[in-house]
Amino acid sequence: MSDANGQANKNSHEGVGSGSIAERLIFTNRPVILGLFLILTAFFAYNAANIKPDASFERLIPLEHPFIVNMMENREDLENLGNSIRIAVAVKEGDIFNKAYMETLSEITDEVFYLGGVDRSGLKTLWTPNVRWVEVTEDGFQGGPVIPDGYDGSQESLETLRQNVLKSGQVGRLVADNFKSTIVYAPLFEINPETGEPLDYKQFSLELEAKIRDKYEAKNPNVQIHIIGFAKKVGDLIEGIGAIATFALVTLGLTFTFLFIYSRCFKGTLVPVLTSVVAVIWQLGILKLLGYGLDPYSVLVPFLVFAIGISHGVQIVNQIAVQQAHGFNPLMSARLSFRALVRPGILALVSDAIGFLTLLLIEVDVIKDLAVAAGIGVAVIIVTNLILHPVIMSYTGLSKSGQKHAKKVDMSEQKSFRVLSFMAHQSVAPISILIAILGCVIGLYYQKDLKIGDLDKGAPELRPDSRYNLDNDYIISNYSTSADILVVMIKTPPEKCATYELLDVMDRMQWRLENTAGVESTASLVSVSKLVTKALNEGSFKWYELSRSEAIINSSIQRAPSGLVNSDCSMTPMIVYLEDHEAETLERVVNTMQDLIAQYPSENYEFLLGAGNAGVEAATNEVISKAKDKMLLSVYAVVSFLCLITFRSIAAVICIITPLALTSVLCEALMAQLGIGIKVATLPVIALGVGIGVDYGIYIYSQLETKLKEGLPLQEAYFQTLITTGKAVSFTGITLGIGVCTWIFSPIKFQADMGILLFFMFLWNMIGSLWLLPALARFLVRPKKTA
Amino acid sequence: MTSIFFRLKNKILVGLLLGGAVTMPVHAVKDVLETPAVMSDMASESLLLDVTKAGSRIVSVGARGHILLSDDKGQTWRQASVPVSVLLTAVHFPDDKHGWAVGHGGVILHSSDGGETWTKQFDGNLANKSIIDQARDLVVNLEQELESAPEDMLDDLEYELEDAQFSLEDAEIDSEIGASKPFLDVHFIDRNTGFAVGAYGFIFKTEDGGNTWENFGDRMENQDRFHLNSIVQLEDNVVLVAGEAGTMFRSPDGGDSWETVDSPYDGSFFGLTGTGEAGVVLAFGLRGNLFRSEDYGETWERVDSGTQSTLMGAGHNGSGKVSVVGNSGAVLHSSDGGRTFVEKVRENRLGNVALVFTGARQMVIVGESGVNVTTPTGENL
Repeated sequence: MSDANGQANKNSHEGVGSGSIAERLIFTNRPVILGLFLILTAFFAYNAANIKPDASFERLIPLEHPFIVNMMENREDLENLGNSIRIAVAVKEGDIFNKAYMETLSEITDEVFYLGGVDRSGLKTLWTPNVRWVEVTEDGFQGGPVIPDGYDGSQESLETLRQNVLKSGQVGRLVADNFKSTIVYAPLFEINPETGEPLDYKQFSLELEAKIRDKYEAKNPNVQIHIIGFAKKVGDLIEGIGAIATFALVTLGLTFTFLFIYSRCFKGTLVPVLTSVVAVIWQLGILKLLGYGLDPYSVLVPFLVFAIGISHGVQIVNQIAVQQAHGFNPLMSARLSFRALVRPGILALVSDAIGFLTLLLIEVDVIKDLAVAAGIGVAVIIVTNLILHPVIMSYTGLSKSGQKHAKKVDMSEQKSFRVLSFMAHQSVAPISILIAILGCVIGLYYQKDLKIGDLDKGAPELRPDSRYNLDNDYIISNYSTSADILVVMIKTPPEKCATYELLDVMDRMQWRLENTAGVESTASLVSVSKLVTKALNEGSFKWYELSRSEAIINSSIQRAPSGLVNSDCSMTPMIVYLEDHEAETLERVVNTMQDLIAQYPSENYEFLLGAGNAGVEAATNEVISKAKDKMLLSVYAVVSFLCLITFRSIAAVICIITPLALTSVLCEALMAQLGIGIKVATLPVIALGVGIGVDYGIYIYSQLETKLKEGLPLQEAYFQTLITTGKAVSFTGITLGIGVCTWIFSPIKFQADMGILLFFMFLWNMIGSLWLLPALARFLVRPKKTA
Repeated sequence: MTSIFFRLKNKILVGLLLGGAVTMPVHAVKDVLETPAVMSDMASESLLLDVTKAGSRIVSVGARGHILLSDDKGQTWRQASVPVSVLLTAVHFPDDKHGWAVGHGGVILHSSDGGETWTKQFDGNLANKSIIDQARDLVVNLEQELESAPEDMLDDLEYELEDAQFSLEDAEIDSEIGASKPFLDVHFIDRNTGFAVGAYGFIFKTEDGGNTWENFGDRMENQDRFHLNSIVQLEDNVVLVAGEAGTMFRSPDGGDSWETVDSPYDGSFFGLTGTGEAGVVLAFGLRGNLFRSEDYGETWERVDSGTQSTLMGAGHNGSGKVSVVGNSGAVLHSSDGGRTFVEKVRENRLGNVALVFTGARQMVIVGESGVNVTTPTGENL
C-alpha cells in the first residue's frame, strides 16, 4: 500500500508487479471467469428456487439422548396422547347457556367434523353424543348425552342442559370453570387414513382461521374463539417463516442505502450487493443439492452470508477507491485490491467457517444443519466476493463522485480517527483496561442469572404476546389443563400393564411427584382406576383407592382413555403436568423421577423417561448445557490457534481474543437480563458471534503489526491502521448489524432472540476491537524500533 | 511394616465390602399396610374422609394414611406418624386419649395419646384368617353334628353344611386376593368396646381395646353381604348400622345381638347421625335421600333435603343445630333438630364427606379438597 511510487508507469505490470499465479490466472481470463459465474449462478438459482421449507420436529431435538430414544421407540403407543387441537368457543356477554351460543357451537362442531385430518370418532364437544352425563341411582347408573332429548333452545331445555353439564363431570375439561366457554376437542390424524397423505399443518392452520375463527366470530359477534394445539402452533410457525421474505427485502434496502451513503457511488453500491446476492444463491443452491431444506433456524443463514459478503465487498470497494484515487485504472486497482485483500480475507473467512463448524459438536440436527449451511455460505463468499467482485469492479471501476467522496471523507474522518488513536496512548490504555475489567466483573455478576432452556410461558417458539400464546393463556386459566407435560413410559410384558404391583408403585410415585415443587398434578391408569372404583361404588369417596383385586382393577380401567393403555397392555404412560418448563423445574422433576425409578426396581416393569414437551425440553436442556462449555472452549481454541499460527505471537492472541471474551461475557449477561435462555436457538449465536467477531481483530492486528514493523510508534501506527482498516471494520460491524437487526421483529421468538444477540455481538465485537485491542497492545506489544 | 500395611489393606477391603453390602440392599416394595404414611404439606389439601374430636383436639383421616391434628379449631394442621399408607375412611375417639382409625386393607389403627402416634392393631389379612377359621370351625362342627344327627335333621344339616362349605371357599378365595376389603366406619362405646364395619358385610367387635377382634358378620341377616357404611350409638346401648341397598340393623344391647330394621328406603345409606335429642336419629345417602326417626330407628319419616346430591356425612352441636354434607358441594343445615333443612352448594362443587362442630358458629368440613373451616351453614366455602 505504498503510495510513494512514481506516477509514470502506474498502470503497467512493470510498475506494480504481476502478483500471484492466482491473480494472473483470474485477471487475464476475466470473460471466462464471468461466463463461468453466470452459468453456475443460473444453475444454483434453479436449485435454490426449489428448496423446500422443512419444519420437521425431529430435527429440533437431540435424537441421541436416551429420553428421546425412548420416546421414539414408543412413538406409536404415545400417539393418542399427543396430536389434537382444542378450540375454546367463548361467550363475551352472559354465559354459555343461551340459544345463540349453543347454535354457534353446534355449527362449529359440524364444521370441525368435516375438516380434513380430524379424527371424527374422537371429536368431543357438548354436541357430540360421546359427551354424556352419568348419575348413580338406586337402580344403578343412569345417563345420556348432555344435550337433552328434544332440545329446542327454550329456557327449560337450557336449564336441563345446565344440570346435565354439571352431572357430566366436564366442568374444567370441556366446559370452563366460569361457564363462559366450552371446548371443541379434535384429535388429529398424522397421516390421513383416507388419502394416505401426511397432515399439512400450514393448510390445516389456515383452514382453522378461515373456516372457524373468522367465520364464526363474524357470524356471532358475541363469540370469541381461541385455538391451541400442536398443529396450530406449527402452522403459526410456518406462517411466521413467511415474514422472512419481508425481512430479506428490508435488509437489502437498508444495506443498499447505507452502502450508497458510504460510497456515494452507484457502482460501488450495486456490485457488492449483487455479488453478495450471488453468494446467497449459491449457498441455497448447494444446500438444496446436498439434500437439505430450510428450517426456521437455517433460514437465517442467508442473511449472515449476505452480511458477511457485503462486509468483504466493502473492503474491496474501499481499496479500489484508494487505488483509483492514486491514479490507477480500474483493472489495476482491482488487481491491487485483490492482492492486498485475498490473504487476510481468506484467513478471516476460514476462521469464520471453522468457528461455525464447532457447532457440529452439538447433537441436535438443526444446529448441525446450521453449521453446514453457514460453513457452505462462508466458503462460497471466498469465491464470489474475493474473485467475482474484483473482476466485476475491474470493468466498472468507481465513479468520479465516489472517488471524490472517498477522499473527502478520508479528510474528515482523519480527525475522529486521530481522537480514537488515543486508545493506544499510555495514559488512556490503563483506563480502558480498567473499564474492561470492570465491565467483565459486572457482566459476570449479571450473567449468574443465565438460565438454560426456554423461559417464557406457553409455546416458547412464539412470542409471549402472539395470538397463539394468548389463546393458550386463556385456555390454561379457564380449564384444568397444563401446556407442559412430562410423560414417563412404563413398559411391561404383554397384558401386564395394570397389575396391582405396578399400579401401586405408580400411585406412590405420583404422590411423591405431586409433592415436588413445580408439579401441578399427575394422571395415569391409577388415577382412572381410583376414580372409576369410586364411581362403581355409588360415587362414595370412601372407595377412592386402588383395589388389590385384579378383577376390580380390570373392570375399573375397561373404559380408560385409549392413550393410557396400548393395544396389548404392554405400555402405559404416567403423565406429569408441570407448572412451567423452566430448566430448574424440569431438572428437579426429572431428578425426582429418576430417584423414584431407582427406588422401585422390579423385573416386571420398566420406567422410561421421558416424552411430552417437557421430556423433550429436559433432554434438549441437558444436551445444550453439556455442549455449551465444550463448544465455547473449542471455538475459542480454534480461533486462538488460527491467530497464533497467523501472527506467531502470544501477545497477538491475547490482543485479539480478550475483546471477544469480554463480548461473550457481556452477551451472556444481556441474555440473563432479557430473560433469554441458552437453548437450541441461542447457543449457535455464541459460536457465530465469536467466529465472525474474530475477523475484526485479525484485520486490525495485522495492519497494526505491519505499521509497527515500518517503525511507527504505537499510537501513530494505530492511527494509520484506523484510517485504512479501522474504517472498514467499523463499516463491517454496522453492515452485519443491519443484516441481522430485522430479525428482532420476527414473529418467531427464537429468531428474534437470535437477532438481538447477534446484533449485540456484531456491534460490540467491533467496539471491542477498536477500543480494547490497542489498549492491550500498549502493554503487550513493544514497537520494534522506537522501543 | 509390611504386616501392618497388609492388615490395613485388609481392613479397607473389608470396609469396602461391608460398605457395599450396606449401601446396596435388595429391597422389594413393601406392602402399603407396612409402609408408613409419607409426610406431606399437601395432606391437608388432599382427600380427607372423616373428622372427629379428641377432647379439644380435632383429628381427621384420609388418603394415603394421612392423619391430621389441629389444636386450634382447624386453623393449622400437623400430620401424625402413621404406620400404613392406605386410604383411611373413619376415625373415632371415645375419650380424649384413646382413638381408633379404620380404612382400606381392613386396617384398624389405635392411638392412646390423643392421635399423636398410631399403631396397627388389625388388618385385612388377620380379618381373612379369622373369617376362614370361623368358617372352618363351623364346617367341622356341622360335620360332627351330621355324624350323630337323627334321621329327620339330616337334610337340614346337609344343607347347612353345604352353605358353610361355600362360605369357607369364598373366604379362602378372598384370602388369596389379600387384604382387599375396606372398613368404612368405626365406633367405640368406651375405650375397651368398639366396632368396625365395612365392605361386604364386614363387622368386627373388640372388648379389649382392640387387641383382639371378633367377626360378628354372622350375627346379622346380611346374606347378600351388602356394604355396611355407617355405625352410630344412640343412648341406652342402642347401636344402629346402615349400609348399601337400604340395609339397616339395630342392636338394643350394645352390639351383641342385631335385628334387621324395616328400612324406609332401598337405596344406599352412607351415614347416620344423632341430633342430641333422645331417640332421634337421621339416616341419609344416595341422591339426597334423608330420613328421620324419633324412636331409635324403629320408624322413619322422609325429610325433604332439597338436594339431588348424595349425602355422605353429618354432625350436630347438641342443641338443635344439625349439618349434613355430601357430593357436588352440598351443605345442608337445620336449626330445628333435623326436621327441615336449607341447602347451600359450594361454588367449586367439590365433594364434602364429613364434618365436626367446633363451636356454636363454626364447623370443619373435610372432603375431596381436604380441610375447610366454615360456619354450620357453609359460608365462605
